[in-house]
Amino acid sequence: MSGTAGDTVDFTEVHDELRSVARDVLSSRDAAGLTPGGLADLGWPGLEISAEFGGAGASFAETAIVLEEFGRAVAGAGYFGVALGAGTCDLLAETPARENLLRAVAAGETTTAVALAEVPGDCDGSPPPFRLRTTPGGLSLSGRAEFVPDATTADRVLLLAEDPGGVPVIVAAEAGTLARIDQPVLDESRDFCLVTADDTAVQPDSVWRFAGDPGGGVRRLRDRAALSIACDSLGLSAAMLDATTAYVGVREQFGRPVGSFQAVKHACADMLVRITIARRLVADAARQAAGRTPDAWVAASMAKSHSCAAAVEIAGKAMQLHGGIGYTWESGIHRYHKRAMLNRALFGSPALHRRRLARRYGISAGPG
Amino acid sequence: MSGVADLRAFRAAVRDWCRAEVPAGWRAVQTGASDAEFVAFQQEWFRRLRGAGFAVPHWPARWGGGMPVGEQIVLYQELAVHDAPRLVLAFVAVHHAAATLLAAGTEEQRRRHLPAILDGEIWVQGFSEPAAGSDLAALATTARREGADYVVTGQKVWASGAQFADWCLLLARTDPNAPKRHGISYFLLDMRTPGIDVRPIRQATGESHFCEIFLDNVRIPATGMVGAENAGWQVAQQTLGAERGLTMLELAERLGNAGFRWLVRACPAGDPVLLDRLAGFETDIAGLRLLCRDLVERHESGAAGPADASIVKLYYSELLQRMTDFGTELGGVNAHTVLHKPRSGGWESGAWALDFLGSWEWTIPGGTSEIQRTIIGERGLGLPREPNGAR
Repeated sequence: MSGTAGDTVDFTEVHDELRSVARDVLSSRDAAGLTPGGLADLGWPGLEISAEFGGAGASFAETAIVLEEFGRAVAGAGYFGVALGAGTCDLLAETPARENLLRAVAAGETTTAVALAEVPGDCDGSPPPFRLRTTPGGLSLSGRAEFVPDATTADRVLLLAEDPGGVPVIVAAEAGTLARIDQPVLDESRDFCLVTADDTAVQPDSVWRFAGDPGGGVRRLRDRAALSIACDSLGLSAAMLDATTAYVGVREQFGRPVGSFQAVKHACADMLVRITIARRLVADAARQAAGRTPDAWVAASMAKSHSCAAAVEIAGKAMQLHGGIGYTWESGIHRYHKRAMLNRALFGSPALHRRRLARRYGISAGPG
Repeated sequence: MSGVADLRAFRAAVRDWCRAEVPAGWRAVQTGASDAEFVAFQQEWFRRLRGAGFAVPHWPARWGGGMPVGEQIVLYQELAVHDAPRLVLAFVAVHHAAATLLAAGTEEQRRRHLPAILDGEIWVQGFSEPAAGSDLAALATTARREGADYVVTGQKVWASGAQFADWCLLLARTDPNAPKRHGISYFLLDMRTPGIDVRPIRQATGESHFCEIFLDNVRIPATGMVGAENAGWQVAQQTLGAERGLTMLELAERLGNAGFRWLVRACPAGDPVLLDRLAGFETDIAGLRLLCRDLVERHESGAAGPADASIVKLYYSELLQRMTDFGTELGGVNAHTVLHKPRSGGWESGAWALDFLGSWEWTIPGGTSEIQRTIIGERGLGLPREPNGAR
């Protein structure tokens, strides 16, 4: 990144380096063994946190690369919640408490989860899942959010809530003050839980306001979560294509590699084309999210609907092209398939995101 | 690449130019137009583009081009935004013929033809034959050396625009005993030479822009050969990809502008099922546009992938086919009462049923979708070839 002032920074090299390190780390050891401290040593939780708080001062475009590599490795390690937590703070007005959290996240001392909707499929224009109420004893919080990623292990849970005046805010709750119930899912690579607050007392300094228009902030936050999942799906799609290409190149039937048969080869070609398009949509959405362009939400909906639908098809096709071995537990393809299916349902289904896009055509019926 | 401010100024200039120069109502005029009206319109449009420096922006500066790639992207975006006519008649000349001459032609050949192309010389590609389609290297048209000439005999098909062409890019076999890819030579053929018979073929759409070319002892001077004798296959490989990149970007931009607008207009209001499909198409088109931009930029920086051209060709073709199919479905019975589509336009015109039929003109020529998938599998993914494939 050296160069005289005014030079365009060549991000390609920085991104390639980041990707290569992430791929090595996540494939070389048991990713489940990655601790928050280990993540911090790699610099990933603090990627978007400004340098004065101990971060790297980068943007979502860089986080997107790491998220993609977690998808490729079907790894969890709480990174999704931590990265989304840092991204949430980035949308909020500056307060000392927020600054403390960012420092702790960058240092790997604290982990976060973010609760954005009562049900994860209902992430478009629905009211915040939590509500603050003023009581004689102070502020009190109630509400519930299902399938909150990484909330099981998080130290702090950032809850999207309405303040007593109906304005969206973030409540940075200590995890121990909330009821958290594990929600087991077929995808065992990540943890989800139901987060409930029932008249829970909240300190005023843990109520954080959005910087600028709160409605816009909520939308950006939810779009970011959706886009993060799109990155994950892109990564696991690429992993499935790599695995399939390698397998059909060596697996022989009828005296030849099955990958030399057109039916198989053409299916692999379709996977590559689908991923190529998904990669362009995700990269564009990440760029627009980082730049906070007015149409960033359009790009996010396109990336989410396309990438997450593609991943299910690709993981399914990978299972098919691996033949019998692909259906075994041992092959591990089921892990990708399950994660792809769940990703599709998180933070808005493809249909929901397309419904959002279609509202711009001026031919929807009512508020749709 | 130009700075952001320069590009903004350039975009404004192109916009002004488009507002002044794109003929109003050209689609109506070109609907049901005769061959003569089509040719005259295309020539006039080419002349206007040339006057603005927009006809051959991709050529080297020395020959009348030299536009920075960033500006070329802007140019094609704005032409699409303003729904300008397409250069149909000059397409082979400004892309394939020029690319061939610039890559493998002699200085004399370039001097003879590049300025002439700017003055309106029309070219056609004479590659495919009845028994050499996907397996192009199996072509059987022969060129036999006789003194200072080659004497060519054979038959070409699917030669788009041959009935209007002045010159032909011709592949013919000069060594029948060599392995099939090593006995082919590349020629520039003057279409006024005696012994040439051009017969238009009526297509599924009812139009006739594809032709058969019959060659009966046609003499081509040896100076009309491009590259070395028997090295024609390599020359053709070098230049076949010349139409990808910016020309695909132009098509993608058109699909994303007027093409998608027409689709929205054809869609009845308030039907959530149809709206869902519409949003799917918008997303697919956005992916195509981003892909084309990326392709152009990577090509410029020398980072093009081995299967890039096949990926974009396959994706565009099939998206065009799916989208025109959807347009036809939306149009219902009325889509079938549109008996003509405008000439000089893109591949989508809002005459959906004809557009849909015409989409096979993308999925079959220039390497069928099946051939593209094989290329993507082998070159893009490194999958093993078919055994015993005589290639």
